Amino acid sequence: MTSRSQSVALKSGAIFGLLLGGCFAGLPILWMLSSSFKDNSEIFAWPPRLVTSTFSFAAYTSVFTDPVKVRFFLNSYFVAVSVTVLTLITAILAAYAFSRYEFRLKGAINVVIVGIQAVPPITLLIPYFGLIVALRLYNSYQGLILTYMVFTLPYAIVMMTGYFNTLPRELDEAARVDGTTSFGALWRILVPISLPGIVSVAVYTFMIAWNEYLFALTLTRTDNMRTVPIGIQLLMGQHSYKWSEMMAMSVLGSIPVLILFVFFQKFFIGGMTAGAVKS
Amino acid sequence: MRAQSRASRVMVVVGAASALSLLAACAGGEGSPVGAGAADKKGTAADGSVVLELSQWWEPELPKGALRGIMDGFEQQNPGIKVKLISAPYASTQQQTVAGAASKTLADVVGLDGAWVNDLAKQKAVTDLTTLMKDAGYDDSQLASQIKVDGQTYMIPVVNFVYPMFTNDDLLAKAGVAKPPTTRSEFLAAAKAVSKTGNGNAGWILPLAQDAPNGIQNDVMSWVWASGGSMLKDGQPDVTNDSVKSAVSFVKDLYDAKAIAPGTLTMHEQDKVEQFTNGRVGMMIDSLAHITLIRENNPKLKFSISAIPAQDGYTGKRGMPYASWGIGVAENSKHKKEAWKLVQYLMSTDVNSKLSSVANAFPGNTKSVPDFVKSDAKFKTAFDIWNKGVPANEFTGLPTAEDLMRSFDEQLQQTLANNQPVDKSLADVQAAWAKKF
Amino acid sequence: MTATQIPTRAAPTQEAPRRRPLPLRRLVPYGYLSPVIVLMIVLMIVPVVVVIRYSFLDNVIMTPTSSLVGWHNYVTVLGDPLFRTAARNTAVFTSVSVAVHLLLGLAFAMLLNTTLLGQRTKTVFRTIFVMPWLLTVAIIAILWRLLLDPNGVVNYGLQGVGLIDTPVAWFSDLNLALPAVTFVNIWAGYPFFMVSLLAGLQGISADLYEAAAVDGASWLQRFVHVTLPSLRPIIVSMALLDLIWTSQQFPLIWMTTGGGPLDRTEMLSTYTYKLAFSKYEFAWASASAVVLLVLAMVLAVFYVRYQRARD
Repeated sequence: MTSRSQSVALKSGAIFGLLLGGCFAGLPILWMLSSSFKDNSEIFAWPPRLVTSTFSFAAYTSVFTDPVKVRFFLNSYFVAVSVTVLTLITAILAAYAFSRYEFRLKGAINVVIVGIQAVPPITLLIPYFGLIVALRLYNSYQGLILTYMVFTLPYAIVMMTGYFNTLPRELDEAARVDGTTSFGALWRILVPISLPGIVSVAVYTFMIAWNEYLFALTLTRTDNMRTVPIGIQLLMGQHSYKWSEMMAMSVLGSIPVLILFVFFQKFFIGGMTAGAVKS
Repeated sequence: MRAQSRASRVMVVVGAASALSLLAACAGGEGSPVGAGAADKKGTAADGSVVLELSQWWEPELPKGALRGIMDGFEQQNPGIKVKLISAPYASTQQQTVAGAASKTLADVVGLDGAWVNDLAKQKAVTDLTTLMKDAGYDDSQLASQIKVDGQTYMIPVVNFVYPMFTNDDLLAKAGVAKPPTTRSEFLAAAKAVSKTGNGNAGWILPLAQDAPNGIQNDVMSWVWASGGSMLKDGQPDVTNDSVKSAVSFVKDLYDAKAIAPGTLTMHEQDKVEQFTNGRVGMMIDSLAHITLIRENNPKLKFSISAIPAQDGYTGKRGMPYASWGIGVAENSKHKKEAWKLVQYLMSTDVNSKLSSVANAFPGNTKSVPDFVKSDAKFKTAFDIWNKGVPANEFTGLPTAEDLMRSFDEQLQQTLANNQPVDKSLADVQAAWAKKF
Repeated sequence: MTATQIPTRAAPTQEAPRRRPLPLRRLVPYGYLSPVIVLMIVLMIVPVVVVIRYSFLDNVIMTPTSSLVGWHNYVTVLGDPLFRTAARNTAVFTSVSVAVHLLLGLAFAMLLNTTLLGQRTKTVFRTIFVMPWLLTVAIIAILWRLLLDPNGVVNYGLQGVGLIDTPVAWFSDLNLALPAVTFVNIWAGYPFFMVSLLAGLQGISADLYEAAAVDGASWLQRFVHVTLPSLRPIIVSMALLDLIWTSQQFPLIWMTTGGGPLDRTEMLSTYTYKLAFSKYEFAWASASAVVLLVLAMVLAVFYVRYQRARD
């Protein structure tokens, strides 16, 4: 009896905790959603209301009917997908080397790769800008894609190496005794069983590329190359904010990442362990 | 063994190939799927015509298609020249201009703020317009003003935005203030009265965010200029004089009386306009350009425009703060002659009238008259104020003007929030500024 | 080719790689790493070298010629009282953020891992809990400016429950600005910990808990003796990564307070940015950037050491 009432208490405690946490995490986002349906003049109405009489989809329609803003979304998709695919390929190759080979510069390269995560992006802005211009990558998809890879690769490599390390070496060694090349062993044996880890790296990479702001702003200068975060910022004029449109675009901009997460959360959460525990 | 060494060889080749292909992707350069195309590579389009780039923050501020329409007019008049607009909000344009100046990739024609000119000219990023005007045989007498550095013109103000005082009629009436204040003491009394009406209302609003410190120019120094004061003496900083001191003390009085809307220390210009539009603020000093915006966002708001109050007893000419959309030509442009044609077109009487009409600004050409002066009573008032006063913006053309505003901002915040004596703050500003001149 | 070679060939084949590795075979890992190496050298090492070079020059970028000035820029920057304030703020902001990220992340992960609730409920809450992480920094900054505005909904709510009398300007109050930006950063960053720790919790074998339960361990004892030790590797890795990332946070600060009011939320990142883009002192900015870089590298070395010690 006591254990039953204890478990009831525990359960309600857990539910209470979840609700409290849910409010902390969710209420600001709920407010973002609600603001996206308001008229700009109602944004700071006092008292604040979740749903106002001016409820409308106007902000969304104005985003969708504006070819420039639609283009922001297409750019974001193109860039984020390219970054994800290229990062995965590159990171898998590198992680394979780290996980399965011993070589003289291993430690040094590892330190450099981890160290790169520590390089504060803004400080590189000025030389970086000149470099991208010199490489003729200014205001191009390639410039953005390669730049984002520099930021996504270190973590992707660390996570993939960790994942490969959890897989017993006997697996690929067995394949290689059978005459498969090391490259073949990687693609035919390791990659298929690492799929959960790969999905988790992919989601992570996509998120970084989709959300990046500072370099997208600096390395592009025409609307046909800009991405969603910049599009949102463009709605902050010199003189006014279009709150409802900013919020609508924020909602729309967050949906792809949210969908990815909801679909792949199992893989994602599993993959994080590999990266974090065993890297 | 053989299998393994072949594998090794394959691996090395694959690795090298993928590295190369990455580089090849780079070498592809600007040839992007739908992107900029070949046009901006050499500044010439496929049909051999010259493509001029015009970078500015104006397009997002204007009605949709307005600037493009004006450019189409230019292209019609000048077959063989095409204009490509590069538009971004003010802050990003500023950042890109700095970065572009450093890497010699500025657009041919660049939109400029008076605060940037000195630095860009010293850096040799923008070209000397005096020479261009001479080469083109241009008569500059119709230009209302030119921004010079070391005697040469580097920027021409295309249109000007005046900063008068906006007052919320209903709020003032509720606070028992019959008409907009004309002196500082009337203003202080009115601001206190409005703040006392409760409901989160405030008498005045002052944006002092340090990341965009132009509130110093628009909302603080404007008090100095309105009373005929100055922050310079013979082109050198002079912020410890009585006119600046009295204006800063006045702002401090307002702050201590809690007559200024909360959040001042990190507030942006946009917040100021927003709060006034929503009827929470009795008075603000703001760009005339916002009349349309305020009307659009809150058609019910009743407001008036008047000159910025002066020191009690002051009868001289009132300095009228203003900000400009200026224009200059990049030193790295390969088409300076064509670029000048575009500047000349924008400054021509009709085009300048048209641009100032859509921007709700005052023209940079003395002969231009914008439509709204005839059709809109509020603008008529403002135009009269403008014509009666003298345009004043002492930050234009100063070295690292934005940083001057920021160091002033820091000290003002010390005075407001930390009760640092006004004299000490201004002395510190003077010392900081002196290093920059 | 000849018959004599056939028997001799079989034996060395197995031994050869160990005894006398072929040069080509040694190059294999570099082959796999070559795309990464090329990309990193061109797009990361080169700019870093350029910044370091700038930090020893005078008047870079702004004037066509510049001369070597040795450590002068470093002396200037390190001697600037604002630099020290920024360093202090960064330390407070970073350490509080990381600590609370960890606590919240752990608490939420344990709630989500509980066996008391149904799978579906947990999935729904997991999705809600992770949402702040899915937003881009630009959105987070704008959203919180909306929420924490003196006329915003947070002030309304707090006034409603009687916690405050008059609206508070969170981002521009001298004493509240740093806590406010730290709070926003905590809100935005805890899910990263939560997700990782949740994954770690799910990896702890149930046997360990059962054994502890048999020994009569209380909930707290199980937490201290089973859960925490199992999560230790994740906690340390995540904390180090988060330290590195949080200490560089720029857009969030820039778009909410811009370093103000006064110098209360000035961070090393905003300080560096202002040196470059507002004062146009790119040489000083580079020196400050290099200092930041060195600090970050120290953390990175710890991270790598820790990883290696565990392997």
